[in-house]
Amino acid sequence: MSQATLPTPTRRSRRGMTERTREALTAYSFLAPFLIFLIIFFVYAFIRTVFFSFTDYNLFNNNVAQHLGPITVTTPPLVGVSQYQTIFNQPLFRTALANTLIYSITVTVLQTFGALLLAIALNQRIQGLGYFRTAYYLPSITSSVAITLIFIWLFNAHGTISYISGFLSNHSGPILAFLGALVVAQVLQVLWERSRRLPAGWFDPVLLITSSLVALLAAFLLYAFGVVTVGTAETPLMNWLSTRDKLFGFIPYPLLFIIVQNTFTTIPTLMLFFLAGLQGVSKSLYEASEMDGANAMQKFRFITVPTLRPVTFYVVTVSIIGTLQLFDQVSLTSAVSPLESNITLAYYVFNNVFSSAGFAKVGTASAAAIILAALTMLIVVIQRRFIVSDKGVS
Amino acid sequence: MTVSSTIMPGAKGAADARWIVRRRWARAGLVYFFLLVFSLVFIAPLVLGTLSSLKTDPLEQPPRLLFEQLYPRNWGSAWSLGVKGSGNGFMGGFSVGADVPFSLSYLVPAGASPTAPIVTVSRRRPGTTVVQPVYAADYSKISPVTVSANTPALMPDGKTGRLVTFAFHVAYPKPATGVAPHAERLPVDVASPEGYVFKSAPLDPTFREQNMIATPERPYTYPRSQTFDNITPGVINYVFRNYVRIFEQTRSYTTGESLFLKWILNSALLVVLVVTSTVIIASLGGYALARFQFPGKDFLFIFILFTMTLPGQVTFISNYLVLRDGIWGLSHLWGQATLLNSVIGLWAVMFASAGGVFLMKQFFESLPRELEEAATIDGASALQTFVRVIMPNAGPALIALVITTAQGAWNQYFWAAVVLQTPDDRFTLPIGINQFQRAYGATGDYGLLLAGAVFSAVPVIILFIVFQRYFVEGVSFSGGKE
Repeated sequence: MSQATLPTPTRRSRRGMTERTREALTAYSFLAPFLIFLIIFFVYAFIRTVFFSFTDYNLFNNNVAQHLGPITVTTPPLVGVSQYQTIFNQPLFRTALANTLIYSITVTVLQTFGALLLAIALNQRIQGLGYFRTAYYLPSITSSVAITLIFIWLFNAHGTISYISGFLSNHSGPILAFLGALVVAQVLQVLWERSRRLPAGWFDPVLLITSSLVALLAAFLLYAFGVVTVGTAETPLMNWLSTRDKLFGFIPYPLLFIIVQNTFTTIPTLMLFFLAGLQGVSKSLYEASEMDGANAMQKFRFITVPTLRPVTFYVVTVSIIGTLQLFDQVSLTSAVSPLESNITLAYYVFNNVFSSAGFAKVGTASAAAIILAALTMLIVVIQRRFIVSDKGVS
Repeated sequence: MTVSSTIMPGAKGAADARWIVRRRWARAGLVYFFLLVFSLVFIAPLVLGTLSSLKTDPLEQPPRLLFEQLYPRNWGSAWSLGVKGSGNGFMGGFSVGADVPFSLSYLVPAGASPTAPIVTVSRRRPGTTVVQPVYAADYSKISPVTVSANTPALMPDGKTGRLVTFAFHVAYPKPATGVAPHAERLPVDVASPEGYVFKSAPLDPTFREQNMIATPERPYTYPRSQTFDNITPGVINYVFRNYVRIFEQTRSYTTGESLFLKWILNSALLVVLVVTSTVIIASLGGYALARFQFPGKDFLFIFILFTMTLPGQVTFISNYLVLRDGIWGLSHLWGQATLLNSVIGLWAVMFASAGGVFLMKQFFESLPRELEEAATIDGASALQTFVRVIMPNAGPALIALVITTAQGAWNQYFWAAVVLQTPDDRFTLPIGINQFQRAYGATGDYGLLLAGAVFSAVPVIILFIVFQRYFVEGVSFSGGKE
């Protein structure tokens, strides 16, 4: 280390100024490529979308003279807020908005609860997690196109799901017999153990194993003696994709198909998030609470739930933001499903520009895009506020 | 489902300890059992899709888990018949000079002397193809069908009958005049006489006719005809028939080249371009945000997070127009008037990612500052420090970034749908496979569809299994730690 590299106090203050500007310059030159990309493809694009939403632009009427006081500019025809009025009066847009909200809420609820329940059920120190993690992550890293096409095949009227449901309904006798016998055997065993003053829970694992063996035998005997029978009905054809029918009168089946597919592919990943959160809870906390005589329900209520709150909050908001933008699956099923049965906001925007019929309605599309952006931003703002308050507490 | 592990007051010590240990083991066993069941359920669509992509008809009812293409017996026959047909045991085919022996075994009711089934080489057009195929029927010659074995056997209803094996040859004699082209397959149709029950052949038939209805005199069902899609398939062409078809049968109407191959190359090119630009830009940007102090830093950081959540549907109209005009004419520099319908254009909108910058920033913040301080004292510039000192230490984060970016680019659907619309040979794999679905889904040719879907999924799955650790790291860098 030579003397020259150590600046004298007077030079430091002079160089301090240049040092700071130089650092800023270096930082911005490092960031320049990214900022140029952001400015062209995000900032400029976003501003233009806002602008287009107040025009009647259709990719061809770009050169209408506008007299803004003394200035004359050529722009697409300005129409004020009428695009927003138009879309809210348009049945297709309302369907898209309703579908988006139904989808977003249903999927978020289903996958959060599903993942949480799975994680709690499986919360054990697990050896060989590698295999399970691979298996659980696979559906979510596979491309939406591949997984959707596989699901379209599975849910085809002549597909595997139709077959399985037909098989289950034909075998409902033995299956119900098994389940009934399982409950009876478990209840009897638990009561007997308790009469021996042993603290058996209703889901006692040892008894559960013996109960299921007993129930299997019982179901087989009932079947062998002809008490329960196996049906031979034709496999009913279930049409999930090419239909306008709705479940409960408000969830169209093609949308339900996407709900099922997305929930199914996301649950395993979310479950691993929750599992990581659960395993972060120190064992001593549970042990201490047991010393204080807490039961399983109390432990869940006062230890598990608070620990998982940040993870849950993160999962829920990310899930809402992601599901609001549903596009791929709608586009992929558009060849087989009627448009209004699964159109979402994101697809509505795209479809208005690139539909095969008529001019590209850029103005209409932009107004809908702004609504979509506003919905997303609303969730982001809520997320920020809550995360800040969360940090404030801890 | 938690089990209270407290011992009830008054219980006897040793016995109760054993009781608890037993429960702990049983509980672990149950947890593993359910983990296994759930993991099987969750990968079932992928596994079923992959298995069924080998089937001739993936919509068969009932869906089987074991089918002809999985029997080693058929692999052996496919190989040897392929060798006999064209000298190629992998891809098979039917070439001049070939002499293919084949046989069919039937259960024949006792009584009359066996009648030979009628064997023909059929002229079926193979699926949807632009190129006019060479029909083996035009060049082949079938020998008379003879009885090669005749042993007593039981019919399905328990009556006595005979197991009769009929043998024949299909030859490709050298034509007296003209050319003798190589035919890709040798399809054979067989119509068996009334009452004959098909038992076996060197290869299992591709299709069997609907079963005849059982009658009081003949209380069993049997198909009247057997169709062999190709009796000289070769082992690859037999087991991975649909995969061969996606390359062979999806040809461009204008150029005749394999579209599927082109889509793979386009996707691969896109991945390389996007990964390169993203890694450079994200590392530079992430480093600046992690280490430098400059005005506007906090705003910029929030702004980057904001762009991460903005859906692409909000910005695509403007981006589409910008690409249409070649980024304000910039693309004229390398001779392209527009960037629409080109991989370069798709690259432009996927040039960098806010998520990548965020991931690298998080990583660089975790590096010790001493690394740079030593270099700065040696008089290195910021860029030199970055290239020589920081980047060599960024290995794990870079791998995570490369992998997640590659996966995203390979799977990208929305931007590809915006930028790549026509013609077919500009597509990337996801857009192309969706085109498959539009073209073949309606005709029920799900074999092609599934093969395409599985083929596009496999590279990412391999990437994931090899670099699993980094995938999870990528998730925790960019997502979990907000």
